Amino acid sequence: MTQSGKEILSARQVGFSVDAPGGRLDILKDISLDLNAGETLAIVGASGSGKTTLLGLLAGLDRPTSGDIRLIGAELKSLDENARARLRKRHVGFVFQSFHLLPSLTALENVMLALEIAGFDKPRERALGALDQVGLSHRLEHYPRQLSGGEQQRVAIARAFAGEPDILFADEPTGNLDQRTGESVADLLFELNEHHGTALVLVTHDMKLARRCGRVEEIEDGRLLQDANPRETQTMEPRETRDYTEEL
Amino acid sequence: MNATTLSLKLLTRQSRSGALIMLFAGLVVATAALAAVSLFTDRVGRALERQAGEVLAADLVVTGRERLPDAYLEKASELGLETAEIALLSTVLFVGEESHLVDLKAVTEGYPLRGQLKLADRLDAPEETLAGIPEPGTGWMAARGLRLFETDTGVTVDIGRRPVTVERVLAWEPDRGGSRFMLAPRLIIHMDDLLASELLGPGSRVRWRLLVAGSESAVAEFRRWVEPRLEERQGIETVAEAEADTGRALEQARRFLGVAALTAVILAAAAVLLAALRFSRSQRDLVALLKAFGAEGRQILLALTLLLLWLALAAIAVGGLLGFGAQAIIGQILADGPAGELPPARLLPLLGSGSFTLLLAAGFALPPLVALRGVAPMRILNRSLDTRPGLAGGLWLLPILGALTIPVLQLGNLRLAMIVLGGSAVLAALLALAAWLAMGLSRQLSKRTRADWRFGLAGLHRRRGQGIIQITALGLGLMALLLLMIVRTELLDQWRGSLPADTADHFVVNIQPDQTEGVREALIEAGAQNVQVRPMATVNLIEVNGEPPPDHRWAGQVNVSWIDRLPPANRVVEGEFFAPDATGEISLAKRWSERTGVGLGDTMLFEAGSRRFEATVTSMREVEWESFNVNFFILLTPSAGETLPHQFIASFRLPEEAGPLRAVQQGWPNVSIIDIGALLDRISEIIDRVSRAAQVVFFFTLVAGLVVLLAALEATRDERRQEAALIRALGADDGMVRRGLLIEYGAMAFIAAVLATGGAALTGWLLARELFEFAYRPSAGLLLTGFVASFVLVIGSGWLGNRSVLKTSPIRILRAGG
Repeated sequence: MTQSGKEILSARQVGFSVDAPGGRLDILKDISLDLNAGETLAIVGASGSGKTTLLGLLAGLDRPTSGDIRLIGAELKSLDENARARLRKRHVGFVFQSFHLLPSLTALENVMLALEIAGFDKPRERALGALDQVGLSHRLEHYPRQLSGGEQQRVAIARAFAGEPDILFADEPTGNLDQRTGESVADLLFELNEHHGTALVLVTHDMKLARRCGRVEEIEDGRLLQDANPRETQTMEPRETRDYTEEL
Repeated sequence: MNATTLSLKLLTRQSRSGALIMLFAGLVVATAALAAVSLFTDRVGRALERQAGEVLAADLVVTGRERLPDAYLEKASELGLETAEIALLSTVLFVGEESHLVDLKAVTEGYPLRGQLKLADRLDAPEETLAGIPEPGTGWMAARGLRLFETDTGVTVDIGRRPVTVERVLAWEPDRGGSRFMLAPRLIIHMDDLLASELLGPGSRVRWRLLVAGSESAVAEFRRWVEPRLEERQGIETVAEAEADTGRALEQARRFLGVAALTAVILAAAAVLLAALRFSRSQRDLVALLKAFGAEGRQILLALTLLLLWLALAAIAVGGLLGFGAQAIIGQILADGPAGELPPARLLPLLGSGSFTLLLAAGFALPPLVALRGVAPMRILNRSLDTRPGLAGGLWLLPILGALTIPVLQLGNLRLAMIVLGGSAVLAALLALAAWLAMGLSRQLSKRTRADWRFGLAGLHRRRGQGIIQITALGLGLMALLLLMIVRTELLDQWRGSLPADTADHFVVNIQPDQTEGVREALIEAGAQNVQVRPMATVNLIEVNGEPPPDHRWAGQVNVSWIDRLPPANRVVEGEFFAPDATGEISLAKRWSERTGVGLGDTMLFEAGSRRFEATVTSMREVEWESFNVNFFILLTPSAGETLPHQFIASFRLPEEAGPLRAVQQGWPNVSIIDIGALLDRISEIIDRVSRAAQVVFFFTLVAGLVVLLAALEATRDERRQEAALIRALGADDGMVRRGLLIEYGAMAFIAAVLATGGAALTGWLLARELFEFAYRPSAGLLLTGFVASFVLVIGSGWLGNRSVLKTSPIRILRAGG
């Protein structure tokens, strides 16, 4: 884990475009932002604004078409897919909207798989500890289909934190849950974040959830609205003119 | 847009969809397998039809063991009928040091009365149709005979004491009749040569035939006249009877190939169903959208039915072509063997196999597509409002009915179809059970393994339903191919190797009582070992316990022998073998007793010439028939047998280093030497050819299995890509994704290969035990080759089918919903 205050993620003039039948389609344009260890950042925006694509690029799941991203000190542009995978497995955790647990593995095995991929010693012990932290010690041998949505997301959070990553990327972590369950999952996410000192990048429609982050960036048509001085956004109140949850 | 346009647009726009390609592939394989077999069967059928009038070379034939009375010939001439005579005899001929068994046919002027002979001047010369028969002193030999003797026309052979020069190659004789499986090559000579050869001693094994042809009424008149005059061991043959005989052997080959094709069809049907279910799932959004835009359920149903029809028609065209190629290969493999010369293939049978394909499509692919009619338009707004995809209860009857109808139509025999279907179902159920157990075991193992193994084996377990179908389908195809390989290469060799070293491999029949000592000495001088000479008489069984004998082909006229002690390779299982000086006692072989129902304590009345004698069964024997010693179903006491008109029969083993039997044949021209080794070689060759032909058909079974594998892969592709994206996002590199897939497919390939190899070895062992009565030891080399080939094939196909999964980008995990 990196020390608090140290830069863990930085994006400079990041752009992402794809070839579409009507010509080139720019999905992200000129995005710049920074994040230090232990900080939390919410990215909000309307559907199709490019926020999920930005999350994928920041996490190294794909490479930007222009600009540079540095993640844990590594220039992502210079790394091939396998090198980025190696970086992710030791430093990055994920929580997804649709949980993405492997249905043929038990709760315990799902957590263990991520630890084994990362090459941790004693994956079973670590996984047991992580599941205990999310309050699922009594559901270890259950398969995803035997768990409720909230429980599945808690397994996913245990999987994300078990390897003690430096940075956690969460894509609509409460998007598939009812309000009450969503809140309890969010509590758990921020609790563990604080406990482990992990940096957090969160993509959400939910302004209430976004406000719990130290910083909020809004994205519209592929651009950050307050991108002139990324550091300043930390002190600014997020725009509340639109509640994206309502848009759903 | 009308339904036809809609169906064509759907088809062309989705022509690259994996599910549609798999659906097409399943239909193609089924068509090809059926087309290959039905085209081949049609050729065989027409060959038989072509011979219908010619199969006897006459309209009616009177048969006899003795030359037929002149009165028959005179009566036929009197009625204005054409006549000719044939004598048939198996004998060993010598050319230099080479000796081979030959089926000799001596003919008189006029032969053949129906049909024509085809001849050639030399082995590689073109054949021509020729009227007439060989001049005395000359003969026409089948090409196979000349090749066996490693010679060509112009060679002179001795028929008994008569030299005959082979002048032409016999390419075709109409009345080969039941000789499609003829064991020895044919030599046609003039009747005068046979009569002068001294081969026709008393009791010789010659079969005589009087051929008659002419107007229908005259033939019927002759039949009415001759029937009441027929003597013992004389009979009448008509075209219908002869055809039945000829057809039997080929009918069995046809059924065998039919069964092979059926397994391919069943597997292809499974692939069609899997692909159709997948395709119908992929169409749900489209159908919901079309409905939302106002398309009626009926119009959509019609469009989907038409789409399937276009697909089936295309599959019939492609499958028909493939089947055409395959039947040519089958015909080629069987050409020198039981199939003989076949007429060229024609396209008509493709209509039949095409109808099967339409039935298959209607039964297996239509129900999932029809079920799309029920897709709710609301799905377009909210997927949770959609009903579960699947088939309405009654629609499932279609595939089931289809599955039951196809084999009945294909085999044309309800009982056989049920046996095949039942047998395949039991075998498939056993394979499926074994696969299920193996998967359970792999799941247990996965708990003790590391990440890539856990991922791979979990994938296998997660898709275990489909995995079991894939393993069963591939296991069946591979097992059938391996079993045929085992039969061809090992089973027959091992059986022959399992016979004791002194097993007789030659018989000499028709030895007259005054020739026995001379023949025995000549045989021993020629190097023969284990020479056994036994008397034999032919008698009629008149009564059993005062009643007429049972109506069985083994009862009636029977060959009997006599001996003063229990012969070697015999064991008494009931009663007690008679004493050397006993009278009125008889000993039966158990096999004969089981067939005829005659048993211990029964009294049997026999007739030989004008003499009648009675005896009681006092013992039953178990006989080792595979010893090839001279053995008899019925043994009399010497006192009863010696008074009967009889001849002798000898069995012996001729070691390879022994000299030729020319002296025996020339010294006693009336005796016939039969080389069992040569017979066994010929039988092996026929089994080899039929197995190879079946392998061509079973190849389709394997391809059908592979289509099932690929269809199942196609059905789970999205799921696999999702999983690959997830573990990539979690930090797995290419190597781990690749290892995971290799482990999943490796485990599946391993299970399928073990089941196929084990199943083939076990079935081979059972065959050996039940049919050949020896303990088969599968060779490690063959099983290992089969195992490795099966393993590589399955893992390779899985690998190729999964290439797109390896290319999955981890970003996909953010874009796809769970």
